Amino acid sequence: MTLLDISELTLDLPNGKRLLDGISLTVAEGETVGLVGESGSGKSLTARSVLGLLPSRATMGGSVQLLDQSVLDASRSELLALRRTRASMIFQDPRAGINPMRTVGDHLTETMRLCEGRSAADAKAVAISLMEAVRLPRPEEHMNQYPHELSGGMLQRVMIAGALTSSPRLLICDEPTTALDVTTQAEIIGVLAEQRASRGMGMLFITHDLNLAASICDRVYVMSAGRVEEQGDARQVFSNPQAAYTKRLVAATPTIVVARDSAATADQGADASATTSDAVPSTADAAASASASATPAPVEAMLSASGISKTYVRRGKEPVRAVIDASIEIPRGGALGVVGESGSGKSTFARMIVGLEQADTGDIRIAGRERTSVPSSRVERLEHARSVQMVFQDPYLSLDPRITAGKAIEDAMRLHRNLSTTDARARVIELLEQVGLGDVHAQARPRTLSGGQRQRVAIARALAIEPDVLVMDEATSALDVSVQAQVLSLVEEIRRERGLTVLFISHDLAVVRRLCDETVVMKTGEIVERGRTIELLGNPQHPYTRLLIDSVPRPEWNLEAVAAEASELEDPVAQN
Amino acid sequence: MTTFRRVAGKLGALLLTLFLASLLVFFSRFLVPGDPVSFLLRGRKPSPEAVAQVTAQYGLDLPPWQQYLNWLTGVLQGDFGRSLQYRQDVSEVIGDRLPVTLMLVVMAGTMIAVVGLTAGIVASLNRGKVLDRAVLIGLTVLGAIPSFVGSIVLIAVFAVQLGWFPSFGSGEGFLDMAYHLVLPSIALAIVFVVLVGKVTRSSMVEQLGREHVEVATSRGLKRGTVIRRHVFRNSIGPILTVSGVLVAGLLVASSIVEAAFGLAGIGTLLVQSVDRLDFPVVQAIVLLIVTAFVVVNAIIDVLEPWIDPRAAAGAGAR
Amino acid sequence: MTTPTMAMKVLRAPRVRRSSTTFLISAVFLGVVTLAAIFAPLIAPYPPNQVDLLNIQAGPSPAHWLGTDALGRDTLSRMMFGARTALLAPLLVVVFSTIVGILLGLLAGWRGGWIDSVLGRIFDVIFAFPALLLAIMAVALFGKGLVAPVVAMSIAYAPFVARLTRSLIASERSRPYVAAYRVQGFGGGFIALRRVLPNVMPIVGAQSTLNFGYVLAELAALSFLGLGVQAPTADWGAMVNEAQAGLIGGYFLPALVPAVAIVLVVVAVNVIGEELSDRIGGEIPA
Repeated sequence: MTLLDISELTLDLPNGKRLLDGISLTVAEGETVGLVGESGSGKSLTARSVLGLLPSRATMGGSVQLLDQSVLDASRSELLALRRTRASMIFQDPRAGINPMRTVGDHLTETMRLCEGRSAADAKAVAISLMEAVRLPRPEEHMNQYPHELSGGMLQRVMIAGALTSSPRLLICDEPTTALDVTTQAEIIGVLAEQRASRGMGMLFITHDLNLAASICDRVYVMSAGRVEEQGDARQVFSNPQAAYTKRLVAATPTIVVARDSAATADQGADASATTSDAVPSTADAAASASASATPAPVEAMLSASGISKTYVRRGKEPVRAVIDASIEIPRGGALGVVGESGSGKSTFARMIVGLEQADTGDIRIAGRERTSVPSSRVERLEHARSVQMVFQDPYLSLDPRITAGKAIEDAMRLHRNLSTTDARARVIELLEQVGLGDVHAQARPRTLSGGQRQRVAIARALAIEPDVLVMDEATSALDVSVQAQVLSLVEEIRRERGLTVLFISHDLAVVRRLCDETVVMKTGEIVERGRTIELLGNPQHPYTRLLIDSVPRPEWNLEAVAAEASELEDPVAQN
Repeated sequence: MTTFRRVAGKLGALLLTLFLASLLVFFSRFLVPGDPVSFLLRGRKPSPEAVAQVTAQYGLDLPPWQQYLNWLTGVLQGDFGRSLQYRQDVSEVIGDRLPVTLMLVVMAGTMIAVVGLTAGIVASLNRGKVLDRAVLIGLTVLGAIPSFVGSIVLIAVFAVQLGWFPSFGSGEGFLDMAYHLVLPSIALAIVFVVLVGKVTRSSMVEQLGREHVEVATSRGLKRGTVIRRHVFRNSIGPILTVSGVLVAGLLVASSIVEAAFGLAGIGTLLVQSVDRLDFPVVQAIVLLIVTAFVVVNAIIDVLEPWIDPRAAAGAGAR
Repeated sequence: MTTPTMAMKVLRAPRVRRSSTTFLISAVFLGVVTLAAIFAPLIAPYPPNQVDLLNIQAGPSPAHWLGTDALGRDTLSRMMFGARTALLAPLLVVVFSTIVGILLGLLAGWRGGWIDSVLGRIFDVIFAFPALLLAIMAVALFGKGLVAPVVAMSIAYAPFVARLTRSLIASERSRPYVAAYRVQGFGGGFIALRRVLPNVMPIVGAQSTLNFGYVLAELAALSFLGLGVQAPTADWGAMVNEAQAGLIGGYFLPALVPAVAIVLVVVAVNVIGEELSDRIGGEIPA
């Protein structure tokens, strides 16, 4: 039986901009339907239209039918009724989605008391049983707790329990796990699947994550720029995409699946670099193959950090041991991934290496020079900067809003080298071109640039100083997958051409896999496992690494074949 | 952190601020160059008795810190010294004037709360629409009317032209006093209505854009319920904070309104005492206003965890 | 992924497109008032204190566009001369409090630590003294006139500017772009003064513009109370004070003219200040 039937839905802004352009989709009882797309694709707007959550300023067309109720022309009371009985929605960020000033119990029982007229005791009993159903550890206690006392994962369970109080027929999930760590995501997905199955609900699942959609959905709709590009059986759509957009998306999506013949994959990588970097002296290749062969080659370590520890002492609270005795070593031209969830200490570790924080103990050496202590003079400070540079997570915040892209790069360059204005300008354009931008972008202020363009500027700015080591702290996690793929390709290319040594911090195993020869896994401040990335993924030793890998959603089929096929379609640099 | 420790901490901060303020009030006199006796007796005949009296009252022959301690001991017992113009205890002079000012402030405060909150809430719920713009423009214009301008316009229109209200004096008895204070309290309230209205609007608008409000809506709660339980409830914090800051301004501005309407309150006493060089009274009133401000804000501070539970945990308020 | 929220914001945030005609009108009005103040001796039709006892409480006429007061003095001429103190005094307060406030705010916000705590405590104490109260106290100590109140008000307003600057600087300091400058090897002084401070200046400037309106109203109030500018010197606040006695007799004009002028100037300043902060609001990342 069809629960939801959206047909030819359009949404226009008063200024004439069309945000949704003829969306049609259906969700049947007991079915999980994925709505997949990148930023600005309109997937969240589509989801909100089901509950009549779009403001009246927007002009809607087409129809949205939820069971026997047409949503777009529903009266106010009909809207209330359908929100109370037919469909519920789970939002992306539970931290923002639950009133911070009211207790968890109030959130859960609110609608039961105020809309259904149940007694407080009755509502409490239901709330507690629902909290048990979503496996919250201490329901009685949680009733009186405030949201800030619970972790993100627990709060998302509260949000799910809250959505279930009305026993909805359709559950809409808008990126319900995007704000969560991967292991938490796996647990939440488990809870959602369980509830969907036991209640026979239909589920509309919105996500940007292809792997996630592919692993839990029966059918998917792929959206881009307000249109449905492709739809069908989830397996079919991702293993044999028809639309060009879907193919590009699939190709851009990194995966942790290790092909049976991992050596072949490694060879493939080496081949690729060999073919594209003919003209470049192949130091990087040499280093890469040296590390790839995993022999303890006598390569000079470009970056070596040993026994690094950092403890934050806060008044009136338990001290936090952010990093505990961490040691890493990266050969010249190598790329090391540091993987961990939030709170693992990976970012603190990175900040200590670039000198933004001081290690309590330990020793950091870059290109053989001691880089642990605080630079005491201008000369030392500049030397430190030339040894290591960093690209930050959020390209929206890591560029000075007032300074144009060209000036930002020029300033960094001229701080370190004496250049005439004309030379510097020419060099800036050169760098911008190298990162896939042009001289038109030199005059642009950050706010006029897209996320991908900003991150390219940030990379160019770091390269302008010609550092020995480049640290990238979650440098692609704020970007859409297709943009992420382009930026990753860019970094690979730069590595090849310049033999740059990279330390890559990420929560995303798949991204690390794509870029790094070797990987270390961090958990609550400690490095629990290290090794060649492919081996680590294929044969994890530490239980936490195994948990991390198992938590990554993995569709049953092999995306690699599709990726290979689609790679011809991909033009990493031209697009943004 | 326990409630007790938190309240104790706030109390400590309150006492420290009051202590520093009292230093400022007391030692400000020492900024004036010259002989303290002649400063205190400016404009009066420095008869030997007067000089002896002032010297004794302030202990001017003692070292400054000793003078301060004596003064503070007196103040803590409600003894602010003697008024030079009335030849009465300062506390008595102030006590006589207090009812009018308190009544004025209470009436104005009520208007500020009712009108300011209403304007802010109405504007925020119609944000971007004509009503919102009208309220905003109205607030901008009202906000530019200083209380003395408001006073003379109200006198001209409602007292002189229409004759609805008295233009002078504070009346006898409670009801008459309230009647006499209608125009003054309106004049006093104007600027503060604007401040409360604006902060209410912006605080509500900010909350309206929050995701938890959308979540509440998506669950089928009525709009009124959502506004009351989620939007307004969460907006109270900033509104209360701003209101606390207004207290001192209200007390000072009341002196302007009192002067315009010829009310025998603390404010006119302050202006008069400045005019007649009666420094002990000035000192006492300043200290009184500052204390009222600090105490009210300390109370709001202490209440904060009930308004925003995150404050109790010391978590960054967002 | 900022997608859904961004998409919803597009729908949600109704940008009130404030017509900049009001901005323009305000700016022109302030310009005219300023010019009138500067050139008062040249363009005023009468000397400000010229008494004409045959023409007291006169209504508007070709000879006296805005009428005369209880002593027959020309209201228009007195308004022009009165604008000088009415505008100059608040300007001094705003300039002084802004400079001091920015310096202290920068110090507290950038250095943090104990300097921040000590300054914060001092500011808290000054906040307990409303500006007008501090001005009145200054008069009580140093006598009537504008000098002591201007100094007192500067001291009272500096902490407002300082606290705003401090919080802006502190929040900028934690932004990744500042960390990026550090990693690039720029020194702390350069980052603070040449990069971070210019980013917060527009907001501080908008706030100071708004402060000008408050200060103008408060200093006028002080003169109205008879504690500021003293008769017979022409000043808007003092003019309202002098004309107050005539209200009961139905002579509204001499009081209303300066009163309305004060309101209009404050409205104009507020319009400009609010529009400035609105415009900036769009550019500074939240």
